[in-house]
Amino acid sequence: MNHRFITVGILPVAIALASLGTEPVAVQSNPSAAKTTGAGAVWTAPRTADGQPDLQGIWDFRTITPLERPRSLGDKAFFTAEEAASFEKDENTRQNRDLIDPKVGGLNYPAGGVIPYNEVWYDRGDKVVKTRRTSLIVDPPNGRLPPYTPEGQKKADRRAKEGRDTQLGHPIADSWEDRPLQERCIMGLNAGPPMTPGPYNNNVQLFQSPGYVVVFTEMVHDARIIPLDGRPHLSIRQWRGDSRGHWEGDTLVVETNNFKRETSLPGSSANTHLIERFTRTDPDTLLYEFTVDDPTTWTRPWTAQVPMSRSDQPIYEFACHEGNYAMPGILAGARADEKAAVKGTK
Amino acid sequence: MPVRLQRAFIAVAIATAATIPLFANLIASKAQVSQARRTADGKADLNGIWQALNTANWDLQQHAAQAGQVVALGAVGAVPAGLGVVEGNEIPYLPDAAAKKKENFDRRLTADPEVKCYLPGVPRATYMPYPFQIVQTPNYILMAYEYAGATRTIHMDKAPPSPADSWMGHSVGRWQGDTLVVDVTSLNDQTWFDRAGNFHSDALHVIERYTPLGPDALTYEATIEDPNVFSRPWKVSMPLYRRLEKNAQLLEFKCVEFVEELMYGHLRKQPGK
Repeated sequence: MNHRFITVGILPVAIALASLGTEPVAVQSNPSAAKTTGAGAVWTAPRTADGQPDLQGIWDFRTITPLERPRSLGDKAFFTAEEAASFEKDENTRQNRDLIDPKVGGLNYPAGGVIPYNEVWYDRGDKVVKTRRTSLIVDPPNGRLPPYTPEGQKKADRRAKEGRDTQLGHPIADSWEDRPLQERCIMGLNAGPPMTPGPYNNNVQLFQSPGYVVVFTEMVHDARIIPLDGRPHLSIRQWRGDSRGHWEGDTLVVETNNFKRETSLPGSSANTHLIERFTRTDPDTLLYEFTVDDPTTWTRPWTAQVPMSRSDQPIYEFACHEGNYAMPGILAGARADEKAAVKGTK
Repeated sequence: MPVRLQRAFIAVAIATAATIPLFANLIASKAQVSQARRTADGKADLNGIWQALNTANWDLQQHAAQAGQVVALGAVGAVPAGLGVVEGNEIPYLPDAAAKKKENFDRRLTADPEVKCYLPGVPRATYMPYPFQIVQTPNYILMAYEYAGATRTIHMDKAPPSPADSWMGHSVGRWQGDTLVVDVTSLNDQTWFDRAGNFHSDALHVIERYTPLGPDALTYEATIEDPNVFSRPWKVSMPLYRRLEKNAQLLEFKCVEFVEELMYGHLRKQPGK
């Protein structure tokens, strides 16, 4: 991990979901922890002192596999090794911010806009997921988000327009409330729930103590402490919702609802019921799967899989709010634009 | 004071005053100490949700009750009295630093980093009027604080070198009998010890000691060394109490949204301007 950002505010970037794996491992849609290795022995997840499957460690979820399968790939759910190498080569070129001419545009940057971060800031990884799936979404089977509801569509259209305005240097910023939660340092870009690979700080550490699992994401120093004792959900709403966990065999299942406004997924609603599944599939892989049931936004539930790789790198402090020079800059810029516009009309 | 400043301050003050837990039967005995809860690896079991029950966050030193700084808050914003948590009650400031402390006190309404929802640093995180949770594993101990969702990881087995100074510092722990001893370094100079302006430099070194006092209480001690600010090391100590509510859990106190009007309100679009 070459680039870590310790005390940097999040700048306004339209983020494509992306992330990393190393060696390809075949993983089933509903994985079981017991797995046959090449030698024919069955691998079983190690246990904690109190007998739970041990999910602990620092896990790296960088990848350039997109959330949605590119339309050009049609029904193709998996790459061959050669196709994966070729996709990686093309995608790493396409994603490289230093190769995008602002006059021409590229990725989600419109022509004539600004490329706010150059390539040195990114740590998205440069590999497809080790399953070699062509998308993180595994259901619907076409690897694409299901159709929006009318309300979801309206929000998506508005978001697309706002994204274009931002990239063209005119963000909507009457106040901070017009800016995404990530720019306000209330939520991390990728911290979830659910965790989704993003541009940098794709690291999470899992802790287990009797009765709890903690999902501790580097961004934005978020420790989600999940009780496993079957207690009822809260009757209040929180930004990260309210998570409760239980074991199904060797899989940790975490159910979250009571979101305050949205999940970390762009366009989602407070009405989301989220199910996350964590399964060790080999000594160096944690398979993370999540199902989003948000009937306000999408016409059916959908599921994505992110195989995470064991990392030997420590988690650092991401003090986002404390270093948020971007927010006063964005707001002051918008006020300066207004002044200039008034002068221009006089 | 501008209305927006008052509003934001009221939000912080009310939120911090609203967490008074109930405690009972916390009298410890020698017998209980020897029966301290143990983890599977035989260490003292510090797992749980803990909270200080004192007014150290208002002022580490002994202090009488006093009016708050926001008139509109009345008794709600007043400072509760406290016996103090500093051993010997004296904080041994160097002369220049003593002047700086006084200046901080005078400017505390705007200068205390807590007003801006900044990460609290160590040891302040421990005695803020919010619970925190210890998640203990053999190799790492996670400390998660309700205030601002602050977190720190204590490295128990092997500690990588600290890459840079940070708000919550770099923590390396070891066991001395049933006491968890934590060495905290690499702290930046942006945090305070309390709302009274007690402060430090980036040379701060904190040695914390967490010792079971019974099944539902710990003794917390923090030795403070900072040769740029203090003439000698000094120490705070206090009990921490287990939150015994059956459904106890940390709730969100993501206070950024409570301070945005205070910090950015002057940059809001003003209709008609």
